[in-house]
Amino acid sequence: MAEPTVRVSGIVLSSLMFQHGNTDSDAEGLVLGESRVEEQITISDSQADRIHIQEIYYVQKHIACSKLNHLYSGAGEVNSVAVKKLLADNKQDSVLGWYRQRRNSDQQLSFRERIVHQSLKASLRNPHLLFLLLTPHRASSAESTHRTEYCAYISRNSVFLSVPLLVNNLGLQEPQSYWKLPAGRSSERYSATIRRHSSSFFSSDGQLRDVNDVNAMNDALQEELQAACREVEDSERQLETLQSEVSALRKRSRERRKMKKSEAAGRTGEEEEDQRRNLRLQEAVGALFKRSPLFLTHTLTLQGFPVPERTFSGEEEEEEEEEAVCEEEEEEEAVCEEETRENTHSRKRSREMAASSERKRRKSES
Amino acid sequence: MNDISPEAALHRISPELRPLLCSVVRNGRVGLDSTNCLRVTDLKTGCISLTPGPCCDRFKLHIPYAGETLKWDIIFNAQFPELPPDFIFGEDAEFLPEPSELPHLVQWDAGNPECLLQLVKELIQQYHHYQCQRLRESSRLLFEYDSLLEDPNYGRNMEIYAGRKNSWTGEFSARFLLKLPVDFSNIPVYLLKDTALDPGEDVALLSVSFEDAEATQVFPKLYLSPSIEHALGGSSALHIPAFPSGGCLIDYVPQVCQLLNNKVQYIIQGYHKRREYIAAFLSHFGMGVVEYDAVGFTKLTLLLMWKDFCFLVHVDLPLYFPRDQPTLTFQSVYHFTNSGQLYSQVQKSYPYSPRWDGNEMAKRAKAYFKSFIPQFQEGAFANGKL
Repeated sequence: MAEPTVRVSGIVLSSLMFQHGNTDSDAEGLVLGESRVEEQITISDSQADRIHIQEIYYVQKHIACSKLNHLYSGAGEVNSVAVKKLLADNKQDSVLGWYRQRRNSDQQLSFRERIVHQSLKASLRNPHLLFLLLTPHRASSAESTHRTEYCAYISRNSVFLSVPLLVNNLGLQEPQSYWKLPAGRSSERYSATIRRHSSSFFSSDGQLRDVNDVNAMNDALQEELQAACREVEDSERQLETLQSEVSALRKRSRERRKMKKSEAAGRTGEEEEDQRRNLRLQEAVGALFKRSPLFLTHTLTLQGFPVPERTFSGEEEEEEEEEAVCEEEEEEEAVCEEETRENTHSRKRSREMAASSERKRRKSES
Repeated sequence: MNDISPEAALHRISPELRPLLCSVVRNGRVGLDSTNCLRVTDLKTGCISLTPGPCCDRFKLHIPYAGETLKWDIIFNAQFPELPPDFIFGEDAEFLPEPSELPHLVQWDAGNPECLLQLVKELIQQYHHYQCQRLRESSRLLFEYDSLLEDPNYGRNMEIYAGRKNSWTGEFSARFLLKLPVDFSNIPVYLLKDTALDPGEDVALLSVSFEDAEATQVFPKLYLSPSIEHALGGSSALHIPAFPSGGCLIDYVPQVCQLLNNKVQYIIQGYHKRREYIAAFLSHFGMGVVEYDAVGFTKLTLLLMWKDFCFLVHVDLPLYFPRDQPTLTFQSVYHFTNSGQLYSQVQKSYPYSPRWDGNEMAKRAKAYFKSFIPQFQEGAFANGKL
């Protein structure tokens, strides 16, 4: 019995994955190609001549469906008209099978896939219909790496068997070395065909167009990023400058406040000193000139002559003395108040005051 | 497998699919074991990683069935929410239901929140048929199934799991899960209300595991709802007989059913008997009754006096009264033990017969009190302290 094998080129497999990578849902479609039966003879120690018959399915192309469940109903019945429409110019004989790409699910046939496969087999009249199942899922928690598992299935007597799926350009399973050099370009037809189609893919300088476009986009992104970085840097510098200005201003205002306080404290000391000096002066003047008629108020007549003083009786003299005593007491009280005010000042000031008052006293004594 | 709560699952599922999942996780009780809801795990999305959430559209559904838990993948597409879901039946890769037998799949209505739940129920029905088909591998087990099917009491309430072959012997094995037709509605409500959970319907399930195709190793097990188990006196209260060698289910299951029925009737009658007993004591002792359990009729306390000696009598009625005799605890109101408790004596054996009615029991108890109290009084004076 022929052992089936599926071979797919790297281009087809990667285009399948690329298509699904850009689709926001599951994807499905038909795969086209050709199948061949090959005979392989192997020689081993136990058997000199062993013949393997291999049925090889070469997947060459795929046709994607524009939307899901387009080829069949919810119950899995295939819509032959839709299949033919999808095939368009392609021959039905070239249909090898169909594929489905299911993100984040198990590598196992689902209920509908099995129903649809049987139905499609009957509709296309192909008992060897293949089913390719690709199941991508994320391989890292940061979603930076994704892994796609792929497998081919074939149905034999309603039982689904998995079939080896080999990717051509990754080298064959046989023990051969990888091709280190590309195929020879001596063929005229090959060169002409490549030349005819190369303008669609390559720019005038021989680079892939898409690569140039992607590079241009990348450059634009880099420029934008750099501009954004510059803006951020400028704003950070401005912020830094402003912050240093603010802190300098704060420092200055703090110093000013301190100075004002100390000045105010010094001024009140001096004022008090002045007041005390004035009091002492007042006392001295009072002591010397208290009774002097020149400093007393006079009552004048209309002609401008002072009204003569009245003669004092003993009681009046006592009253006068009492008034004088009261005045002295008032003066003493004023001095005491000044002293208590001095005592309520801070120690620093009191020390300063004490020192300056000492100096003043010494001066007045001298 | 990551367990998530129903609310978390509903929060992560795509908004268009939310009503469908809501009815599954909130009302999803399927099969015989309806005490367990359907559970959802492994929520994933078929969208690309740049799609803003919530956009989960595929998950694993855990379904209790025949003592096993089926883990089925249900696959939607968030970008096409109107499309019917697809299923992966876990380890049952050969299970392939006929689509025409699934009306809710053929006539899928994405706007009907119950559609998914109904579809799951139809699939379970198909799965049951699939398992029954697998019994054909063993003629003996097929006979068991066919004989039970003929009895309407059991045939309609049966789940079968013809699982993988026994890994040790390579033999085919199967499990039958049957819902026993026992009426629990007359069990006194107070016996059922003490369970912490609300288990839903009261149900008794008999699980019979055949470890080999020739039924030489058969292991039965009875599962009761938590409230029923509590009402019957706990998990150790009911022991079902072992499966007889050479026996068959059609004989064994009715036997277990009868045993359970008898137990339930006994509990119900016991309740009525206790009520009768308490009523008789109330009638005989009147003002001497201090308190009694008016819900379950399991306790009664009397304050009596004999020749100026007052004492309390606590009567405790067991669950299986009148088969089991009530316990009398005499307690002095004057005397204390060294540990500071009131002096008391427990009497478990005194003249008693389960065949007496409540009135007779009260009369005999009264007579016993009179005969015992002098002895009790002496003991209280001798061993207790005032």
